[in-house]
Amino acid sequence: MARLLVLLWSLGPMLWQLYTSLRPAEALSGGGAAAWTLANYQQLLQGDPPFLRYLFNSAVVGGCSTLLTLVLAVPCAYGLSRLGQRSSRTLTVLVATAAAFPAVLLFLALLELARDWHLANNLLALSLPYSGLCLPLAILLLQAAFRDIPLELEEAALLEGLGLWQRLRWVLLPLMAPAIASAALLVFIFSWNEYPIALTWLSRSDLLTLAPAMARIAGSSVYTIPYGAFAAATVLGSAPLILLMLLFQRQIISGLTQGALKG
Amino acid sequence: MSIHTPPHQGLRVQRLSRQVGPQLLLDNLDLDVAPGEILALLGPSGCGKSTTLRLIAGLDPVSHGEIQLGGRTITQLAPAQRQVAMVFQSYALFPHLSVERNLSLGMELRGVPSQRLQEELDQVLALLQLEPLRWRRPAELSGGQRQRVALARALLRRPALFLLDEPMSNLDAQLREELRAELRQLLRSTGAPVLYVTHDQQEAMGLADRIAVLRDGRLQQIGTAEQLYNNPTNRFVARFLGTPSINLLDEGAIQLGLRPEHLQLRPADQKLPEGWRGIAATIAHQEWLGDRVIVHLHGGRHGQLKLQQPQPAGSGPWQLCWPRSAELHFDAIDGTRRP
Amino acid sequence: MRWKLWLLITPALALLLALFVLPLLHYLWLSTQAQSVLTGLQPRAVGAAQWLRLWNDARFWQDTWQTLRFSTVSVALEMLLGLAIALLLHQPLKGRTALRTVSLLPWALPTTVMALGWRWIFNDPYGPINGALSALGRNPIPFLSNPSLTWIASVWADTWKTTPFVALLLLAGLQTIPADLHEAAALEGASRWQALRHITLPLLTPYLLIALLFRLAQALGVFDLIQVLSGGGPAGSTESLALYAYLNAMRFLDFGYSATVMLGSFLLLVLLCGVAAIGWHWLERQRREAH
Repeated sequence: MARLLVLLWSLGPMLWQLYTSLRPAEALSGGGAAAWTLANYQQLLQGDPPFLRYLFNSAVVGGCSTLLTLVLAVPCAYGLSRLGQRSSRTLTVLVATAAAFPAVLLFLALLELARDWHLANNLLALSLPYSGLCLPLAILLLQAAFRDIPLELEEAALLEGLGLWQRLRWVLLPLMAPAIASAALLVFIFSWNEYPIALTWLSRSDLLTLAPAMARIAGSSVYTIPYGAFAAATVLGSAPLILLMLLFQRQIISGLTQGALKG
Repeated sequence: MSIHTPPHQGLRVQRLSRQVGPQLLLDNLDLDVAPGEILALLGPSGCGKSTTLRLIAGLDPVSHGEIQLGGRTITQLAPAQRQVAMVFQSYALFPHLSVERNLSLGMELRGVPSQRLQEELDQVLALLQLEPLRWRRPAELSGGQRQRVALARALLRRPALFLLDEPMSNLDAQLREELRAELRQLLRSTGAPVLYVTHDQQEAMGLADRIAVLRDGRLQQIGTAEQLYNNPTNRFVARFLGTPSINLLDEGAIQLGLRPEHLQLRPADQKLPEGWRGIAATIAHQEWLGDRVIVHLHGGRHGQLKLQQPQPAGSGPWQLCWPRSAELHFDAIDGTRRP
Repeated sequence: MRWKLWLLITPALALLLALFVLPLLHYLWLSTQAQSVLTGLQPRAVGAAQWLRLWNDARFWQDTWQTLRFSTVSVALEMLLGLAIALLLHQPLKGRTALRTVSLLPWALPTTVMALGWRWIFNDPYGPINGALSALGRNPIPFLSNPSLTWIASVWADTWKTTPFVALLLLAGLQTIPADLHEAAALEGASRWQALRHITLPLLTPYLLIALLFRLAQALGVFDLIQVLSGGGPAGSTESLALYAYLNAMRFLDFGYSATVMLGSFLLLVLLCGVAAIGWHWLERQRREAH
């Protein structure tokens, strides 16, 4: 019984969006006709720029951020995990505090940064602050995973004659693969959902990522009630992430719990 | 069939020490291991035996002292350059690789040409009867099988020195006894010196040519099992070797050490021969172990004593006696051996 | 060898430092400047004038109150619901994994995307809630146009999105409690409620604290949801501190003051989290001494 409630609570709003998106505008304002239509979706996909463009932009930024974060976080996590207890403890606490920080408070400084260094309206540049914001969680997660690999394994590899790079490539990273996948997913989800920084760094409509694009759509019409189109946007905007969740549920969940446990 | 290793001059360790903060883990250890010899490092946990192994392998830095292997001084060299192979207590097999890959990875990355690599690999797999397990992952192997893979990996290293860190401690007692002889033969056939760490004295006595007993980071005595057993330099060594452990009787400034098998039970009123001594004792209980019996006795002011004999003892009254020539004398305070 | 490790750590650490510490320092400097349209967008030193202005700014204090109200209620609800859901998911029921994934979906969606959805759901008179009420012959509830109700709508939306995160965190904590503790309690005749109070909750404390602090810090910075759901209205009744700071910078082009607002909010955040943490430990001590 409780399960049903949870199900309803979680899925209800989204299902309603789906329903709304398939109804024509007249039906929504109480016009009563029991019609179903795909016109809302058509409107979005043929818009200027087409809705899919936003999804593409978000994917580009997401992929870039994920890559950059991993490149920075993996060595850092390795170093921290092999460092002595005292030093790594203090650093870890600092990193954990950074993880809880609401990123929105940084937007002004980042805005000035974008202005001074001409980083605005550049999808790849956006991955810089995103990586920085995701680093704390990624580091915590990966550090815990590195710690889980017994030191003796690395020592055995050392005695076999493997250098640092070889140890990482052949022994450590393969064993870290699940943790790295989890971290990558979390970074991607974060980049996809991020709003304030994308809002201030991107102004060209064809470069918008999904979050600011949605906000723009929301603020666009004042007099009509294009809620059908809004709902369609909601559905399309949520779809990729829902898909991601369904495909990688295990990795995402384990990543969150691991990161949380070690916090 | 043996694996040929290049000729070498053995291991020499001089004044080896390791200090971490205020703790002195190893204090001026000196030892030599000749090529083809197996030396066991024996002692209770925390005595420094694993520390010694790790220093020789290069996994921990030396505080002071020297390590020489085959004429080369290796004290400051990186582990990979020391030509040393180690079998870890947990075997440390790479869990994501097959047995074959576990064995071939090191060789491949060291640049061994592929044909020779295959030949040696096949040779070792056959030697240790691992051929049927070639494609399995470590998780699918039993403890004994994993140990063999770890050994195979060490053999393929063609090292100048073998280090083994309690390789049998994860196996059950019966398997340990069965494997002991096989392991000894295999290690000796390589012709390289072997340093073997264990806390099990029977294993040390059965497998090694010589034994070094360590306590709190200091070497207590080094010699053959026989030398250590019959001629211990101190009370600690005497107590550590031998099951059941040696009896200690207080006699003022001296403690008498008497092995259970040297004690005898005779009727209380019997006259003892020349050079023998006896004390009154009552039987507390007896342990029947199949081939022998351990009799636990109350020796009055001497406390609990143990005696070993082939058959169970009757009800008594008894006197516990021994030839004085079997006595070992130890200083009551510091435990050193007195003549 | 150790220096090699530090070499690996430094790049990431440098980026973190640049990203988290430098901005705050910059804000500190900027809050002592007046930089706005009035100064031709050039900074001009004014000492503590901006801070004085902040202190006397009724809108700032209004927003502080609103943000606090939003955060405390929202986080309290999330903790309770999250705990309930975590306890539910901890039971070995059928379809548990699927349920776990489904309950996490809200968290995965972008806030701005769903905020738009919520605008429709709370819509008066066509949204589903009001539609249902009308069908039952009741009066519609003007969620988004009545200042006293809009903040409730925002709390609801925020709770919906972030409860799964809390639930997951607490679930992880529940899974670390050894099962034998509960079995022993059951053998001694403890009821489910007693087991919860005396075994589960005390052992869950560190996780509860982490979830609390984490969520509190995040909630105090609420921005995305408010901007899209209500735009801070109606009549600024849902405006949050972050939104106010944003408006100062982007709409009023008053950068100096915006930095002041943000620094003020940050100090508030640290204060509140500090109080929460200390309060928690004090409560813990009381509880322990009572035994």
